[in-house]
Amino acid sequence: MAAILIGFVIGLPWLGAIVLWRTRDENPRLQHTMAVAFSIAAGVASLALIPFASAETAISVPMGRYFGDLTFTADGLTVTLTAIACVIGSLAVVFSVEYMHGEQQLRRYYSFVLLFIGAMTGLLLSGNLLFMFFFWEITALCSYALISFYNDDPKAVAGGIKALIITQVGGVGLLAGALTTYASLGSYQVSDLLAKAGTIPVGLLTVIAFGFLLAAAAKSAQFPFHTWLPDAMEAPTPISALIHAATMVNAGVYLLARFYPAFKSVPAWTMSVMVIGLLSALISAISALIATDLKRTLAYSTVSQLGYMVYAIGAGGVFASQFHLLSHAVFKALLFLAAGSVIHSVGTRDMRRMGGLGGKMPFVRNVFIIGALALAGVPILNGFWSKELILEVGLEDSPFWAYALMLFGAGLTAFYTFRMVWLVFFGPERDHLHVHSAGSAMKVSLGILAAGTFITWLLFGGLNGLLSSTLPFHELEHETLLEMITAISSAPATWLALLVVALGVGISWVRARGFQLFGGGWLSPLVETSFGFDSLNRIIAEGVSKLAGQLSLTQTGVLSWNVVGILGAFLAVLIFLVWSV
Amino acid sequence: MILTPLNAVLLGVVLLLVVGFYGLLITRNLIKIVLVLQILVKAVVIALVLGGKASGNLGLGQSLAATVIVADTVVAVVALALAVQVRRRVGTLDLAKLSSLRG
Repeated sequence: MAAILIGFVIGLPWLGAIVLWRTRDENPRLQHTMAVAFSIAAGVASLALIPFASAETAISVPMGRYFGDLTFTADGLTVTLTAIACVIGSLAVVFSVEYMHGEQQLRRYYSFVLLFIGAMTGLLLSGNLLFMFFFWEITALCSYALISFYNDDPKAVAGGIKALIITQVGGVGLLAGALTTYASLGSYQVSDLLAKAGTIPVGLLTVIAFGFLLAAAAKSAQFPFHTWLPDAMEAPTPISALIHAATMVNAGVYLLARFYPAFKSVPAWTMSVMVIGLLSALISAISALIATDLKRTLAYSTVSQLGYMVYAIGAGGVFASQFHLLSHAVFKALLFLAAGSVIHSVGTRDMRRMGGLGGKMPFVRNVFIIGALALAGVPILNGFWSKELILEVGLEDSPFWAYALMLFGAGLTAFYTFRMVWLVFFGPERDHLHVHSAGSAMKVSLGILAAGTFITWLLFGGLNGLLSSTLPFHELEHETLLEMITAISSAPATWLALLVVALGVGISWVRARGFQLFGGGWLSPLVETSFGFDSLNRIIAEGVSKLAGQLSLTQTGVLSWNVVGILGAFLAVLIFLVWSV
Repeated sequence: MILTPLNAVLLGVVLLLVVGFYGLLITRNLIKIVLVLQILVKAVVIALVLGGKASGNLGLGQSLAATVIVADTVVAVVALALAVQVRRRVGTLDLAKLSSLRG
């Protein structure tokens, strides 16, 4: 049964992608309907898969000696993330029906969205590192194609290419790790790597561990690769919600969580993971303080929240990170889609031109505030519980300075979140924008996600049971919802964190009164260049292209010279062979 | 080196290779290049049979050689047809002139 459902979860979106590619753009109604049908079917299949979670391999297809078996495993970690990807995917598609209404080339849009959903579930469910890499690259390709969807806009094309190049660098890390695993274990199976990591020599295990860390950092836009995600915001907003907030950027966190038991003994690995998460969380929280583009602010906060998850894994809190991943996927998708309906209705992303929109679109204002409260970590919303869980793990298992900085980051989060809320929905009207309220398709998606923001933390006990019973290598403690609630509400760390959050909200309220929310002062030049990392990116890209230009001299295209090259190489091999004998 | 039958054939293969590569280096006519490539492929075919004999797996070597002959015939036919088309459309078979048409 699990095998059939896995087939549905990966196959239905891909089938949908092929079918939609065959449709014609003269009939947008049919395209919307089919995309919604296929994505909802995949969402239902992914939810049906949850009860069948087990550590056993569900599907195994022999692929010959060199590729290993193509296996799919649906354990607790993967079914949770698959459900997130498919359910939020279908909500984003429902939202697109209205957001993309009247756009050209819906065929291309929906095909890539469905291709992405299928590839993402494949990446999560795959039990073979080589095929995981294959799906990993397809998600990067879809991300590129969708960021550059408005391909007559140079900024969108540049953002897409930047995202593609940076995630490719990470892909090389994953491939290197997978090949090193094969070289030392003779197998690409994820379960083999987890079971036999102790038998790999430390030097090789270090290569695998840091290769995977490189892949994870590039995919999840972590330091020093945090520059691509804000530029990826040129994509249509449902894409930002789906790919750049709720699913693809989580793949890096998933990779680290999946292989944490294998790598935790590698010297300096957990510390590097922690520091990368910490730097990403702080740098992007600071950038979000002065950003004036609504979607960029949300992108910075995504990088920052992913930083919290990575930090939690470094501190050993695999479950805390996955719990925050679930909460974040729900409330950030909500925030992005709500921001999407604001942008769709006023036609600009610049928060300086917004203001006072709350009265004109009350529904969107209310759900946006729910999402913002969850992002800031205000009690009983899902973001509160998972962030407290991370901070608690951090207090116990990481150095105190790291914990203190993360706590400071939580305050910054509360500040920039409410700065964003004031700028968009409250205060005086700064520009007379024509506003029309959100339609029913948007309201359905937003309503479901807002409800999710209230209730997903109730899944704590179930999620914990699912993960601890199906992940034999992670040694997770079993904890029920009630125990978690008592533990968190009685811990002094929680009250400290709440104080910091309240301080952040308070300061943003005071500053909102004084209208001093635009100036970044000395911070602006730093943030505009991503703390100097944009120029670093440019130097590397230009260096590579210059080197390629110089090497192209060797490609004359003249037959005689090519023959000389062949003969020269042949002679060199011959001399080497004779020499070594 | 003693001139056993195997060594004699090997010498033939090397000679054919040398002729082929020399031809590739100096030839500029497209049709002649197809001919020279054929010489190289013949060296390979003989080498395959030789390798089969030397490793005691003659059947394998012969069947590989037969496959190469078939595949190569197709390649030669297509290459010659292309050369004819190039002559018709561009008016020359000279490689140096053809490559100056690039870009």
